Amino acid sequence: MLSRVAERVYWMARYLERAEKTARLINVHTALLMDLPGRMEINWFTLIRLFNAEKVFSEHYEWGNEANIMQFLIADTNNPSSLATSLANVRENVRTSLDVLPEEIWEQANQIHLLMTNSLPRIADRYARQIFLREVMKHCQCIRGALDSHMSRDHSFDFMQIGKHLERTDMTSRILEMTSLLLSDDRSDTLRKYDGILWTNLLQALSARQMYLQHIHSRVEGASVMRFLMNDTVFPGSVGYSLAAMSRRMRYLPDPDMPMTMAQRVLEHSQAQDVGAIPAEQVHTLMDYLQSELGVLHAEIAKTWFYPDRSGQQQTQGL
Amino acid sequence: MKKEWNQYDPGALYDELIAAVHQPREASYKLVEYLRHLTPERFRQCVQESEAVIREMGITFTVYSDAGNIDRAWPFDIIPRIIPAAEWDCTEIGLKQRIRALNMFIQDIYNGGKILKDGVMPADIVLQSKGYRQACIGMTPPHGVWANICGSDLVRHSDGVLYVLEDNLRVPSGVAYMLENRNITKRVLPEIFNTLPIRPVSNYPAQLYEMLASLRPDLDDPTIALMTPGIYNSAYFEHAFLAQQAGLVLLEGADLVVGKDEYVYMKTIKGLERVDVIYRRIDDDFIDPEVFREDSMLGVPGIMRAWKAGKVAIANAPGCGVADDKVIYAYVPDMIRYYLGEEPTLPNVPTYVCRRDEDREYVLEHLAELVVKPANESGGYGMLVGPHSTPEKVEEFRTLIQEDPNNYIAQPTLSLSVTPTSCETPHQERIKIAPRHVDLRPFILSGKDIFVTPGGLTRVALVEGSLVVNSSQGGGSKDTWIVGDVVEGEEV
Repeated sequence: MLSRVAERVYWMARYLERAEKTARLINVHTALLMDLPGRMEINWFTLIRLFNAEKVFSEHYEWGNEANIMQFLIADTNNPSSLATSLANVRENVRTSLDVLPEEIWEQANQIHLLMTNSLPRIADRYARQIFLREVMKHCQCIRGALDSHMSRDHSFDFMQIGKHLERTDMTSRILEMTSLLLSDDRSDTLRKYDGILWTNLLQALSARQMYLQHIHSRVEGASVMRFLMNDTVFPGSVGYSLAAMSRRMRYLPDPDMPMTMAQRVLEHSQAQDVGAIPAEQVHTLMDYLQSELGVLHAEIAKTWFYPDRSGQQQTQGL
Repeated sequence: MKKEWNQYDPGALYDELIAAVHQPREASYKLVEYLRHLTPERFRQCVQESEAVIREMGITFTVYSDAGNIDRAWPFDIIPRIIPAAEWDCTEIGLKQRIRALNMFIQDIYNGGKILKDGVMPADIVLQSKGYRQACIGMTPPHGVWANICGSDLVRHSDGVLYVLEDNLRVPSGVAYMLENRNITKRVLPEIFNTLPIRPVSNYPAQLYEMLASLRPDLDDPTIALMTPGIYNSAYFEHAFLAQQAGLVLLEGADLVVGKDEYVYMKTIKGLERVDVIYRRIDDDFIDPEVFREDSMLGVPGIMRAWKAGKVAIANAPGCGVADDKVIYAYVPDMIRYYLGEEPTLPNVPTYVCRRDEDREYVLEHLAELVVKPANESGGYGMLVGPHSTPEKVEEFRTLIQEDPNNYIAQPTLSLSVTPTSCETPHQERIKIAPRHVDLRPFILSGKDIFVTPGGLTRVALVEGSLVVNSSQGGGSKDTWIVGDVVEGEEV
């Protein structure tokens, strides 16, 4: 398969994952804020911090209120990780790799595009916004379903799986990083009262609540949620699962040694400490480190398969 | 919709579906009856459904403008254009005859030029043609075929005869829209397919693949690629669509390199892999900066060497544009007689070649009635349409022709046929069915065998009275049906 096409399907899967996760995160966060009293450490701006977007946001907006933050995270194309940017990138990458994808994917991408065109002007309204975000999630799942049931398990599929898992790990680590900050020992007493709700919402944001309840047989509490999301070996949203899945996929690709070694190393580092037992500050450091290692892993993938003749070339997409 | 159809009147123009007021042509009878019995609400629903399908299927074309390039939804009219099967069979024979002669001509002029030596046509016309490529001299592509994909433009005059207006031999486009138009019709008018034997068009991608594979008869399973100039090209949608439908590797010049062994390779995740056949959707000028335009960023350095060494097949062959020239067009009937010893089945539009004294004299006397075209332009640039022009413009062309007669041809102004077209947007109260001018672009594939699409792409000028069918200038398109004889009482 063409290196250029490999790069496009890889990014298609990354943006698809990012879009779905972003939509879900915003919906869950909105629901969470409805449960919490006002004037807390958790507010709309928490989402901006989660995406490390404080700087870009302040360049374009004066106030960190709901309207501005929703506009920025959902509709603003100045924001490289906004939902609109991610979905536009999904469509663009589908458009340029139509020859390797099942036909329905293009139709789905167009439907999302039409949905965005019609819905973006109305997202200031919470009701319309939630419906829109649900629709986005549904379309993302449709695409994933069509890929899953209609695509041969060829290299295009391998690259999509790798992209999906890399993005998923990245999103999970961002959410865990943010949670660790919120749950640090010096948090307010008001917030402490809502610990349980917070952890439940965290699980929901990662579509993990039901599986957690099924498999962990424990009430929702910090240490076991952290362990579940970092170390669980059968839940497909855990960091450990995703990283292992990536190196399994890489084995099918030509000359996988360098990226596989790197993926293995990231996996080991991520599993080395018991996240349920260490203080919040250390969780934060660990997640920071994980994110930077994911960056290195991406560079290794690009060097090996996308730009084999021009090592050191920067990626052309992404953050 | 009875009222709308009862009022329909093409006047003195030739109409593709209607012979006279209240009188559909035989092949169109069932379609017109079906449409007559739709309520205006149902018809409007069909139009809306077709628009939704187009947006969902992402069928777009690109309009270049100062404000950047915009992808617009493909303009489509749901009333099909019908051609009776018996007439089409003759047309198909004529198209095959014509492409055989054209390919023999290109092969001849790059290999000795017998036709020129025998004085059938003047040598300088060919040698001065913008599409003539010295780099191709002595070359014989597989099966001696140069123009593998041809999209001829046919028009019907008020005499009811289909004429060949031009032979598009370089990189003709539109076939994806022909295929998509049929898909849309199947979704919005599904019932009608039960009552009429409509020839299917869906076989084109498979035929395209087979034709391309036949260019490497030495290989069992050649690797075939479609080379696009990229997403900014106005036909990118078609490139991606054809690659997807026919199973070709979609790639750009930058994905290819020519090796020391003169094979062409694509850059893959496994390293370099050989490409055997390239369906290029990029002009000669840009294909190889080593040979043609040095500044081309779209092409592949060395690809001409690979082609001449027979290590890669290129469709259409470089240099085939020589036969796609307005002056050379005038000689196609002579070519058919010369190479095939046959009379042309499909007529040319009568053409006056200004380099001939008597033709020029006639042209200068009748300028205000004629269409004047320069030899090497396409897309309607640099033309004079006498009856729709000003006296100043006519005088300007008089001077141009006198100064450079070799560069001009002239043709009588044709009265293009019309066909019923829905003319109001669904949001307006009334739907009007009105006559609009159409042309037809069938596609002809030539490799080991010749294949002609049943019908082709019908383009329609949506503005009343307009003859401009280009989608960038207010043109639309229609599904085109080749309809066989209907046996009464038989389900199709």
